[in-house]
Amino acid sequence: MPRTYDEELKFIERINNHSWRIKKGFVPNMNVEGVFYVNSHLEKLMFEELENATKFGGIGGFLPGMKQIANVAALPGIVGRSVGLPDVHSGYGFAIGNMAAFDYNDPKAIVSPGGVGFDINCGVRLLRTNLTEKDVQPMKEQLAQSMFDHIPVGVGSKGVIPMNAKDLEEALEMGMDWSIREGYSWAEDKEHCEEYGRMLQADPTKVSQRAKKRGLPQLGTLGAGNHYAEIQIVDEIYDRFAAGKMGIDFKGQVCVMIHCGSRGLGHQVATDALVAMEKAMKRDQIQTNDRQLACALIHSEEGQDYLKGMCAAANYAWVNRSSMTFLARQAFARCFNTTPDDLDMHLIYDVSHNIAKIEEHMMSDGKQKTLLVHRKGATRAFPPHHPLIPVDYQLTGQPVLIGGTMGTCSYVLTGTEQGMKETFGSTCHGAGRALSRAKSRRNLNWYEVLDDLREKGIAIRVASPKLVQEEAPDSYKNVTDVVETCHAAGISKLCVKLRPVAVIKG
Amino acid sequence: MSKESENKNQDSNIEKNQNEDEHGPSASNEDVTFDYPPIKYEYLDHTADIQIHSWGDSIEESFEQAAMGMFAYMTDTDLIENRDMKQIDIRADGDLQNLLFKFLCEWLEVYGTEDYFIPRKIEINLFDRNELRIIARGYGELFDLSRHTQGTEVKAITYSNMQIHEETSTHDVYVIVDI
Repeated sequence: MPRTYDEELKFIERINNHSWRIKKGFVPNMNVEGVFYVNSHLEKLMFEELENATKFGGIGGFLPGMKQIANVAALPGIVGRSVGLPDVHSGYGFAIGNMAAFDYNDPKAIVSPGGVGFDINCGVRLLRTNLTEKDVQPMKEQLAQSMFDHIPVGVGSKGVIPMNAKDLEEALEMGMDWSIREGYSWAEDKEHCEEYGRMLQADPTKVSQRAKKRGLPQLGTLGAGNHYAEIQIVDEIYDRFAAGKMGIDFKGQVCVMIHCGSRGLGHQVATDALVAMEKAMKRDQIQTNDRQLACALIHSEEGQDYLKGMCAAANYAWVNRSSMTFLARQAFARCFNTTPDDLDMHLIYDVSHNIAKIEEHMMSDGKQKTLLVHRKGATRAFPPHHPLIPVDYQLTGQPVLIGGTMGTCSYVLTGTEQGMKETFGSTCHGAGRALSRAKSRRNLNWYEVLDDLREKGIAIRVASPKLVQEEAPDSYKNVTDVVETCHAAGISKLCVKLRPVAVIKG
Repeated sequence: MSKESENKNQDSNIEKNQNEDEHGPSASNEDVTFDYPPIKYEYLDHTADIQIHSWGDSIEESFEQAAMGMFAYMTDTDLIENRDMKQIDIRADGDLQNLLFKFLCEWLEVYGTEDYFIPRKIEINLFDRNELRIIARGYGELFDLSRHTQGTEVKAITYSNMQIHEETSTHDVYVIVDI
C-alpha cells in the first residue's frame, strides 16, 4: 500500500535554513540517512516533485529526487550520508546532483555506474583572456561564428582532430599528456585540471571495441543537449584575493567556458558496465531498490573493470575538452589577429562533475578512511591546503566552476573546510532542471527563446534551433538560487560571477 | 528469405528523385512505393531525460515504434531516405525488459559505430520470446549535415522506470532515454 504525501512527509525533517534530513525508513533498507540542501525557492520544487509522485500511481511517471537520494542511502557500503546538492533533480538510479561515498576497504561496498552517469567526466573548464568587454562587444557575432565554425557541434557532427585507432588507445591511457604531446594543450594547462588531466588507473583494454568505435569520430566535438561553449564577461567579483589567484583582475574581463564530456565513448562504457553488473548482482546477491542502481562490489572483477574503463573514458573527456580549448584559442587568435599566448588564454581550472574517485577523507569519528566518492552532477570542492589541489590555489581552495544555462550567469566558487566535513568536499554543478523537456517544448516557443537571448545582447549559434526551448533558462532552476544556497550553507564560497555574451550549442 | 530477394527488398524503395548512377541497379525499383509505418509513439514528461511511450497491435510493433521514436528525437526522420539497410541479431539474458534494453542499445550502437546510420523504418523479422532473441532490419541512410536536421543526441538507454504492458490491447511500452 503506497503511503500518502502526508505520511511521506513524516520522514523529512528540517535541519536548518538550508538543509533537510531524510530519515531511515523513507525507503526500505537505508544504511545511512539522506540530506539535501535547498533554499526556500528550491525547497518548493523538491516537495512539489514528491507530492506529484505520490499522486501518480503506477503507469508512466518517475521517481522524485528525494526517493532517489534515499535509494542511494540503501546501497551496501555507503558511509556518511547520501547527499543531494541544491541543484538536485530526478535522474535514473542516482538523482542528478547526488554525492555518495563508499568505504573502499569494505569488502561489501559497491561501485555504481549510475552514480557516475552516462556522460563520464562531463565537466566544465574556464579559460581567461586579457580582453575586456569593450574589445569583444563589437566583435561578438564574428567571434561566435568563428567558434561555431571551429568547434563541431550537435548530432551527427565529426571531430576535426586527426585521429586513428592507435592514437585513441594512447589518448585513453594518457589523457591530457597526450594532448600536450600532440601540441593541442599547453604544458601548464594540466596543472590547472583535476587529477592533472590524467587518471592513472585507466586501462584502455577495459574499454570495448564498440565504445572505441563510437568515440573515434567524435573526439573534439561538443555534442548536444546541455553542452555548450560560451564567451563570458566577469560581472561581479566577490572574493578579490581568490579571483586574483585565478588571474581574474577586473570586472568586464573576458573568459571562455567549455562544458562537455566523453561523448559516445563514455556512454558506451557506462552501458556495457550496466549489462555486466546486472549478472554480477545476481551472483553476489546485491539487493537494490531500483533496477537502474546496477552496481558491483568494488573489488569484484566487474567493479574493477568498470573503474579502469571509467578512468579511460575520463581521460578521453579531458582530451576532448583540451581539443576544444585548442579550437577556441585558434578561433580567438584568428578574430583578433594575434596569438593565444598574447591573449593570455590560460586555463583557470577544469572540473569533472560526473565521476567516481578514490579519495582520503576524515570521518566524523576522527579516523581517516579511503573512500570511493561518486559525484553525479556534483563538483569536487576541496578546501585550502588540500594536497590534491594545485600550488596556485593552495591558499584559496579549489576553484569550482558552475555552468549556468544558455543565457544565464555562471559562477566560480571555491572549496571550503566545512564542505570537506559535510559533503566529502562536494558542491553543486549547475542549475538543475525544473521543467521537463516535454513541458518546456509545450510551454516555450523556440523563436521567442532566441529573440529573448538577442534582446539580452547575447550572440547565439545553435545546431538545433527548434530544441533550444528545452534548454531555455526558464526550464532550469535559477542558478543564482543554487550557488547562493551552497554559499549560505558553507559548502563552498562565492568568488566570481560571469555573464554570457556569446553561446555556441549543439 | 534468400540473399537476392533480401537485397531487392532493401533497395526497392528509392525515391524518384535519386540519381541512378549513384545507386546502380536498385534504381530500377523506383516505382515501388515504400510505406512508412504510422507514428505510434510520444514523448512524456521527465525532468532530465526523455520518456518514450510507444504502442502497437503487437509487442513487436511497440518495440519497433520505441526505436523509431528514439531516432525521431535525434533528427527529423521524414527527411531520411531509404538508401541503405542494416540488420541486427541480438540475444538478451533475463526478461522482456532486458530484451527491450538490448534492442534499443543495439540500434543506438549501430548509429554510433556505422557512420551515423539513421533508420526511418524498423522492422522486426524474428521475435523469439523464449530465447529472448530479435532479428530486425532498419531502412534509412547515413546522417548528412547538409540534408538532415539536428535534434538532440540520445546518449544511452536506461532501465529507469521501464515498463512493458503486455496485458493492455495497445501493448504500451515506456522507456527513458538519457539525453
